[in-house]
Amino acid sequence: MIALLRIELYKIFHRPRTYISFGIVAAIALVIQLAMLADGKNFIGFALQGVSEQFDIKGNVLNGYLITYLILQTLLIHIPLLVALVAGDALAGEASIGTLRLLLTKPITRPGLVLVKFTASVVYAMLLLIWLAIIALGLSVLLFGTGDMINLKSDAFVMLLKDDVLWRYFAAFAFAGIAMMCVAALALLLSVFADNSIGPIIGTMGIIIVLTIFSTLQLPIFDAISPYLFTTHMIGWKGFFDAPVPYDAITHSAIVLLVYTILFVATTIIVFNKKDIQS
Amino acid sequence: MKRLFCLCLFGILLLPSVTMAQDATQLFYRIRDKVKGVNDYVADVRIKLDVPFMKVPPMKGKLYFKNPDKMKLERQGGISILPRNSFNLTMNNLLPPGNVTVIDGGFDTIDHKRVRVIKVIPGSDTGDIVLTRICIDEARMLVLHTETTTRDNGTINMDLYYNSYVAYSLPDKVIFHINLKDYKLPKGVTMDYTGTDEDLVQKAKQARVKKGRVQIEYLHYTINTGLTDAFFTEKK
Repeated sequence: MIALLRIELYKIFHRPRTYISFGIVAAIALVIQLAMLADGKNFIGFALQGVSEQFDIKGNVLNGYLITYLILQTLLIHIPLLVALVAGDALAGEASIGTLRLLLTKPITRPGLVLVKFTASVVYAMLLLIWLAIIALGLSVLLFGTGDMINLKSDAFVMLLKDDVLWRYFAAFAFAGIAMMCVAALALLLSVFADNSIGPIIGTMGIIIVLTIFSTLQLPIFDAISPYLFTTHMIGWKGFFDAPVPYDAITHSAIVLLVYTILFVATTIIVFNKKDIQS
Repeated sequence: MKRLFCLCLFGILLLPSVTMAQDATQLFYRIRDKVKGVNDYVADVRIKLDVPFMKVPPMKGKLYFKNPDKMKLERQGGISILPRNSFNLTMNNLLPPGNVTVIDGGFDTIDHKRVRVIKVIPGSDTGDIVLTRICIDEARMLVLHTETTTRDNGTINMDLYYNSYVAYSLPDKVIFHINLKDYKLPKGVTMDYTGTDEDLVQKAKQARVKKGRVQIEYLHYTINTGLTDAFFTEKK
């Protein structure tokens, strides 16, 4: 099993397109950081308009912690796409190049293969998140320094003291890991139905975009289904930047995501077990 | 004879109010002179914001003040948040310089203590302050409460509590009661993580309350340290 996982990871990290994801994450983070270096004060002035009418806010508002939060918010849609790039290719990619049947001639069970493919996709997603943490958090702190962090919600202005921020990022990245596991499981599930990787990748993105719209539109018609969508819970990492931290809600979101992950992986195993593999 | 009697009666009736008015003006000038004795100070402060839409932890910092209206809050690299227009925070600004019109407001009671009330209208009509109602503890010559009507920032109430620095008329604790405007950002922009009870409580609270409270505790003062004007200039 470990040997197979090693082979899967070797395959993932030997493809040039795997590194495109790392490049894209770095590019987005750098663009935001450079934009903030050049014109961050205007952006902050605009963002704080509602509060600064009534309060004088002074000090290093535009610090590394805030920039990291902005980057994470921007990458909310992009990271799942990048995870889907690899996870969506896991089974469908093998099918398209005709190696899946050959792979299954080896002494490994089909559920075992699915689990190894899933684990490899999760490892890739985690490495992508670690890379994001280095580029977004590390570089932003290096460029802008640290300080108290301001979090603007739609109906509240939250300020977190400098010494109380870093642990929240570690917790947020850990939560994002759970969310990306769910995305990887979904992409893997779609991958089992296809014989080329484009379909699962685009399918995963399509599902995430549509469900995110349902989750964020806040229309009464979507209120009934919104709590059951995994996309509603994918932004649970933001809960760590509230005061006090809504642990109950975050735990609930994490459980929903894990249940979806298990459901997707289990469905993948069932479908893959029954699948007539012809290539 | 009858006319002379009427004149005397009118004079007798008017005399107390004229005397009171003079007393009020004198009281104002005495209070102002006492407050002006402090040219500058550096104070260690602890600030608590009780504003429905703000979740800000208690902030510790250093508050620098220089007569008449220079003020700066430093929080060792941290963010400082204070009610807009620092005149809210200085007694000197509430006691305008130059000629002012002082109206006697009679007496009131604060914490079971009888206080003298005066109303001060600034001589200049270009400033933001239109009228200040000041409650004074005459025995200790201390301002215990002010109610300031401004052109653009509504009415600001300020309660002052004294202990260690009575001799300088410097409070140990000041509580501002401020009027608030609505705060709202589009959910599509902030992409809030909702579904928490805290959010619902916050929303309900915000819908009802349009007032906020800012409490500044002065933990320690260093008085007349010789701060320069340049110190208060914003770093670009």
